[in-house]
Amino acid sequence: MRQLLNGNEATAIAARLARVEVLASYPITPAAPAMEQIVRFISEGKLKAKFIRVESDHSALAAAVGAALAGARPLVVTNSQGLAYMSEVLYHASGLRLPIVMAVVNRGLAAPHTRFPDHGDAIAQEGSGWIQLFCENNQEVLDTLLQAYRLAEDERVRLPVMVHYESYIQSHTREVVEVPAPETVDKFLPLHRRPALDVDNPQAVNVVTGPDLYMDYKYRQDKALQDSQEVLCEVDTAYAELTGRSWGGTLGVYRLDGAEHIFVTMGSLASTCREVVDMLREDGLPVGLLKVRCFRPFPGEKVRSLLKGARTVTVLDKNIVYGSGGALAREVRASLYGPGPEGPFVYSYIAGLGGRDVTSEDVVRIYQMVEEKVKGNQEPLPYEWYGIE
Amino acid sequence: MDLFTGGHVGCRGCGAAIAARQAMEALGPRTIIVIPASCMATIGGSGLRTAWRIPFYHSLFECAPAVASGIRAALEVQGIREVNVVSWAGDAGTADIGFQSLTGAAERNEDIIHVCYDNESYMNTGGQAGGTTPFGAWTSDTPSGKPTRQKDMLAIMAAHRPPYLATASIAYPKDFIDKLKRAKEIKGFRYIHVLAPCHRGWGIKEEETVEMARLAVECGLWELYEIRAGEKRLTVVPERKVPVQEYLRRQQRFRTLSEEDLAFFQAKAST
Repeated sequence: MRQLLNGNEATAIAARLARVEVLASYPITPAAPAMEQIVRFISEGKLKAKFIRVESDHSALAAAVGAALAGARPLVVTNSQGLAYMSEVLYHASGLRLPIVMAVVNRGLAAPHTRFPDHGDAIAQEGSGWIQLFCENNQEVLDTLLQAYRLAEDERVRLPVMVHYESYIQSHTREVVEVPAPETVDKFLPLHRRPALDVDNPQAVNVVTGPDLYMDYKYRQDKALQDSQEVLCEVDTAYAELTGRSWGGTLGVYRLDGAEHIFVTMGSLASTCREVVDMLREDGLPVGLLKVRCFRPFPGEKVRSLLKGARTVTVLDKNIVYGSGGALAREVRASLYGPGPEGPFVYSYIAGLGGRDVTSEDVVRIYQMVEEKVKGNQEPLPYEWYGIE
Repeated sequence: MDLFTGGHVGCRGCGAAIAARQAMEALGPRTIIVIPASCMATIGGSGLRTAWRIPFYHSLFECAPAVASGIRAALEVQGIREVNVVSWAGDAGTADIGFQSLTGAAERNEDIIHVCYDNESYMNTGGQAGGTTPFGAWTSDTPSGKPTRQKDMLAIMAAHRPPYLATASIAYPKDFIDKLKRAKEIKGFRYIHVLAPCHRGWGIKEEETVEMARLAVECGLWELYEIRAGEKRLTVVPERKVPVQEYLRRQQRFRTLSEEDLAFFQAKAST
């Protein structure tokens, strides 16, 4: 069924389709409407779930950890300050290998205070051990949340997943979304319970761990995270078989055939860049787009094989890792290190922080600036800020 | 069968371990326990060993009652009944760093039991002062004695009007066990605050832990009572009454108390 949904509504409908059992969330702008909609579903009897009206974001994730430990399917909704406040608990969720799914409505982190979108909140948690998937539109939000549960609960994975979409650009903007039938989702998403806290099978969880064991746990956790790339691709394929929609697994590629200059980006900027690619292709310019859907684990090998033949790569980052640059550009460069002098130069731009609009005209301008540098044999700077006068 | 067994790594004479062992008598095997950062979170297991025979989760410091809320929700959606969900925290995990999640869970009337085992200082980090550390007590970060009074956690929790609230002392195991048994039968948020002395923090001998827990009651500084549906009832009237100095002077942490300070405590004990 086609419906006009904003990102938060897509999240709520995904929660209902996924038959989420425990919702633990603390209100925050702009994610709160998603929580409110799910609570309405619960009160109207359309979703059989428990809502825990926690007193903080930290407790929201802590409650989800408890629910997952006891074998239920939890959902958390938050963003920015809320996510930062949960930071400590994120590491428990991943270290305990809990299949928690969290919708994150990306919003710039204060200070200064902002309610507007960028990926700084997500990137700040890049080392937390969560799978991080970025969505470019509301259809992808709904589809990715459903895929996220299957991915998180896969025995080879058993890891928490963040599904990112941007504040206002997505959370409060309605788009046409194809909503799958509940029977289709039930087929895709059977519930596998594996409680760690079970009175019939008592176990001690998170006991003191010394140097003899800690590193082995961490090795397995990282390996499961790396291996989840392949599982995500399987999950995406299985989803496509049922719904006809694939999101490319870890990466979305667009007009890479013969592309000499490739844009790399995440989230809503991918849609903008796709339009720019079409515009420039019409002018006969050999450009393409690589959209990173899965930022953690970073699909470095695939990125390298897709980019190594390009002449120029331009990465657009809606985040700044202070003192280092754009997180995505850093990953792209790291994945390309090794091809040698024949590998492409990577130009890195920080753009659109805190909701500053990045239009197709801006992307074209970035393209032209990079082409000027290429013509002038100018090596890329580590990173540049776009739109700062 | 002991559900918190031998083989834990608590100190000899550990008041907290005594409290846990007593509590498990009442709570039984259908109990899930969440313990945030504290001595009790660490002494019950390490590596691949555990002294717990019930499901146990060592949670983060601030959030044991929130985790317990999530566990209860998960049990309810699965139709799993007759399980005690317990968050068991020290005085820090209850009254200070853990207070936000505690007040939240109490206000929501979550169907959990929160036990505060109170040794009146942060012993797992070596004995610093906290919110329940009494006025005048020496700790590693109040070397001249704590300049402020302890917060009244029982009054704070009573203000949440929980269905059940009680104090306990490890020197009165029957009273403690009976209270947990009564608490088990009640639905909603239940709060039990058990005085569990720590010989290291208090500057007493390890064999004096229980004796101090008794003297606290006998001198009137730690009253044993319960509040059900707003009705307060004393549960233990000590057979003898002793002046506060018999309790306080035995503890190294109070060695700098002046006569005036003792008068302050005596006045507190008499009210």
